[in-house]
Amino acid sequence: MARMIAARVATSVVTLLLAAFFVFFAVQALPGDVAEQLLGQNATPEAVATMREQLGLDTNVWVRFVEWLGSAVTGDFGTSLVSGESVSASIWTAFSHSLLIAVPAIVVGIAGSLLLGVLAGARRGTSVDSTVSVLALVAMSIPEFVVATVLVLLLAIAAPVFPAVVLEGPDAGVGDLLPAVVLPAVTLVAAMSAYIIRAMRSSTIDGLATEYAVTAELKGVRRRSVLWRHVAPTAVLPVLPVISINVAWLLGGVVVVESVFNYPGLGKLMIDSVSTRDLPVLQAIAVLSALVYVVVNLLADLVALAVDPRQRTLHRPRRRPVVAAAVEEES
Amino acid sequence: MRSVLRRFTALSLGTRVGLALVGVTVVVAVLAPLLSPYDPVATDAERALQGASWSHWLGTDQYGRDVLSRTLEGGRFALLVSLLATTLAVALGTLVGAVAAYYGRWVDGVITRVLDAVLAVPSVLALLLIVSVFGNSLPVLVVAIAVVYVPAVARVVRGAARPVLTAGYVTAARARGERSLPIITREVLPNILDTILVEFAMRASWVVLLVSTLSFLGFGVNPPTPDWGLMIQENRTALTVAPAGTVAPIVALAALVIGLNLAADGLGKHVGVDRARRGAL
Amino acid sequence: MNSSLHRRALLAGALGGIATVGLSACGAPALRTSERAATGAARAGATMRIARPAASAAETLDPASSLSAYEYLGALYNRLVKLDRAGETVPDLATEWSSNADATVWDFRLRGDVRFHDGRRLTARDVRYTFQHILDPDTASPQAGALDLVDGIDAVDATTVRFRLATPNAEFPSLLTAYQCYVIPDGSAGTIGRTGIGTGPFVLEGFTPAGTGRVRANEDHFAGRASLDGIEFYSIQDTSARVNALLARQVDLLLQTNLDNPTARVVAGSPGTTVARVANAQWYTIPMLATSAEFKDPRMREAMRLAYDPEAVLRTALQGTGTAGWDNPVPPELSAHLDHRREHDPERARALLRQIGREGFRTRIYTSAYEPNLTAIAVAYADQVKQAGIDLQITNVAADSYYTQVWMSRPLMVSYWFTGRPVDQLLNQIFRSGSSYNEAAWSNPRFDRLLDAARADTNETTRRQKYQDAQRLVIEEGADMTPVFGDRLVGLSEEVVNYDEHGFELDYLALGLKEV
Repeated sequence: MARMIAARVATSVVTLLLAAFFVFFAVQALPGDVAEQLLGQNATPEAVATMREQLGLDTNVWVRFVEWLGSAVTGDFGTSLVSGESVSASIWTAFSHSLLIAVPAIVVGIAGSLLLGVLAGARRGTSVDSTVSVLALVAMSIPEFVVATVLVLLLAIAAPVFPAVVLEGPDAGVGDLLPAVVLPAVTLVAAMSAYIIRAMRSSTIDGLATEYAVTAELKGVRRRSVLWRHVAPTAVLPVLPVISINVAWLLGGVVVVESVFNYPGLGKLMIDSVSTRDLPVLQAIAVLSALVYVVVNLLADLVALAVDPRQRTLHRPRRRPVVAAAVEEES
Repeated sequence: MRSVLRRFTALSLGTRVGLALVGVTVVVAVLAPLLSPYDPVATDAERALQGASWSHWLGTDQYGRDVLSRTLEGGRFALLVSLLATTLAVALGTLVGAVAAYYGRWVDGVITRVLDAVLAVPSVLALLLIVSVFGNSLPVLVVAIAVVYVPAVARVVRGAARPVLTAGYVTAARARGERSLPIITREVLPNILDTILVEFAMRASWVVLLVSTLSFLGFGVNPPTPDWGLMIQENRTALTVAPAGTVAPIVALAALVIGLNLAADGLGKHVGVDRARRGAL
Repeated sequence: MNSSLHRRALLAGALGGIATVGLSACGAPALRTSERAATGAARAGATMRIARPAASAAETLDPASSLSAYEYLGALYNRLVKLDRAGETVPDLATEWSSNADATVWDFRLRGDVRFHDGRRLTARDVRYTFQHILDPDTASPQAGALDLVDGIDAVDATTVRFRLATPNAEFPSLLTAYQCYVIPDGSAGTIGRTGIGTGPFVLEGFTPAGTGRVRANEDHFAGRASLDGIEFYSIQDTSARVNALLARQVDLLLQTNLDNPTARVVAGSPGTTVARVANAQWYTIPMLATSAEFKDPRMREAMRLAYDPEAVLRTALQGTGTAGWDNPVPPELSAHLDHRREHDPERARALLRQIGREGFRTRIYTSAYEPNLTAIAVAYADQVKQAGIDLQITNVAADSYYTQVWMSRPLMVSYWFTGRPVDQLLNQIFRSGSSYNEAAWSNPRFDRLLDAARADTNETTRRQKYQDAQRLVIEEGADMTPVFGDRLVGLSEEVVNYDEHGFELDYLALGLKEV
């Protein structure tokens, strides 16, 4: 197992490098550059040349990449071409703001979805199941920008319960942001819960149909006890990959939500930086996102390993051909 | 024909409704130029933001364009891109996944690591960059979206192909000395076809949502082309005074995606693939 | 699976969908806005919240910079002179000015009672320093080009500044009304971007680039104390988010935001908010790149002009909220405006095209979502020129590369400027040969000579005549069409009183919130 973790870490580093490399050269290929973008209609050739010189954009591309790599390894991601501030500081601030939305969404979303999934699975075929299933289906079929727009309309403009927009921008404090966190978090929960609910429901149904659950019920153990103490915990296992994918996806989902609410998080920073061609920020965002993705996947694998001992031996070299069923679940 | 009908009625109600919804949407999108009462890009400023009337069944938007015509044609771009992108993603993903599963060991290892790396780059960022560099024409969007989804498809196909590869008839074929490609196409693929089909239906619903999100963010189709995501973005400020321009595309989009999801669910169950458990991947 | 439940769910879903669509098909009331915003007595002790689009995260409070945070400038600083509604130069920090006989030396007399926010008295040295800073190549100020005729600046005494010009310019004072020309303290160039120390009606309390800012009323302002106690500025990049902030009553006024018609109707129709019109604040242009193969021939350009009716474009694209331009770039409000309506004759356009062998001419017209009305104008113009057999393909380009990729490089596009430039600056900066803002790359030596002659002419009447002749040249031979001037539709709360903006002038003194 230690070998597995080491291998994972090694490939993760490669992944991070690849992500940074890809972003670097993609931004180089973008039409226009930071100087032209910032100056807009005032982009006379002299003004552009002056700004390029000030920003150090007149040096060779490869040289710049290698320099960036060197300082990135020590944690210094350079300074933003647009604001002149330290990239690590801006990214960290934006990331923490996004976390304010993401963490409650994850906690409430996962907990709520698991519960609803178990309920729907346990009461399969009843109106509870139908309602939950239909709601989940609708929730996963409506794009989140629609949910966000409707929420703003209903709960911020028609009935000013929550703020429609975050006014304070990047220097907003936690206190300013908290009331503005609710609607974006609700949007995210709506978007990701459907998949978890459906997966958990399916898994619960399967769990209730296994031999030992049926046997336990026949032996007289109360159904509720069978459900919550025996079936539910193991039913979570196959849902873990679904959860980890959804959590990793949040980083992308947060972009739309932050755009609608003007929320000063990582998603909004990403869109703004693409628009202004602010390369150092984009690279740092790419690396950070790849890191989050890798960490989340690793965590999910570790949890699965911890809970299900069978998985630990899955990758040991075998001498005999493997029985099909044991490898059905994706490695 | 009759056997198709019989197979159709054998499916559950949900699946049938799903397939019907998708079918209707596709037919409407294809026939839209014939069905639309007005040219969807024809402006008529005197009659902007009007409500329903006999001449405009769903009213008009801020430039006086007929909402009904724009809604009817609004699915064309998204459907075309989704169809092409999904087909490309599934085709490429199947190839990659099958190859990885077939050759195993270090080929499999390298492919899996590369796929992981591609998956790690946040898809939204990758799409934004690709569109900013290459523009938002149809081929670019199709390829960009396909690239984003190939790793996921490849992983699923790989997972489904591995058990098949250890089955007797494949081993026999290898023992007979048959070359790899015929084995993959003749023995492996037909047996994982059902998985691929379900993948297709599932992936299509995601891609439709993604295309509309891109249009909403301004990276998809350009105005004044009618497109549901773009219509929602353009008309949402008028939501309180002339909601039809926003609500109609929302309902149309939701109907299509619900249809795709229902169809994917039903088809999956029908062929024994538990889609819900496969979940978001 | 319980199929009857399923059936019920499906039926409910279908009915719900149809009902939603059906019920949603209601319409919007027409836009009815008053000409000016509400006026009246302002309450004491109020703080206004203003939302604005940030210039970028690189923005600064240095007025000379191209990245200045525009909305703060009029609150924090003053210029020597400013413009009135008719485009005439009127006093601000300078009380009077005069020139020598051939308009190459200008003296400005300053007010004696002005202090900067840090207590220091305003003197001629501050003015000299301000303009040296603007002319400094390292500052790369957009106004440096217009002011490059300045040879030297002298602080004759504490309240007199002298400008020595290399070439005569009888309209020189008007060049000092530009929004880069706000006066900063002597020696402050290194810090002014953050400190915002000026002589204006408000004092800076806090400023974050692309973030929030706060100013409070200057008790000792020379023109009197402002009605408001303070202003809070919020930067919101996305236009619909900015509008939502207004609709949710989180802010009171949206600056530098031109609402498109449907948004304006929503804002006007929502409780507590309304729309004010700033007449002809947007100057829309259709530059035909005179160096391109398509438009090198002046007869081709003439055909493009004759083929369309600006009144029709105004009706269709702007729903009448503005004025037809008739290809004269000088706004109708300015006293130097020439009232000359050229012809609208699509048949003659067709004949001209035949003459030069360009019948059935096709090309692309570029537009973008950069400004809400650009595409509508492109569509309306393309529609119009069909009458002469000209076929234009509307080509949409992403907003963030519109001015870097299309402007001044593609043959035909739709663009816009804010009105507010005085006539000499306008004609010289945008129409003189070789100017970096000459968006149509038009070069007409007769026009340039006319401008030089006007500048050298110290007689106001004959000078005005020359500017009008210059306008006639632009209308009849130019390459930059002006189809329409558009009103700016400004979203604001119903509590705002005395909102008064024209050109680049906003009255920060009278602006207030109405009495309860």
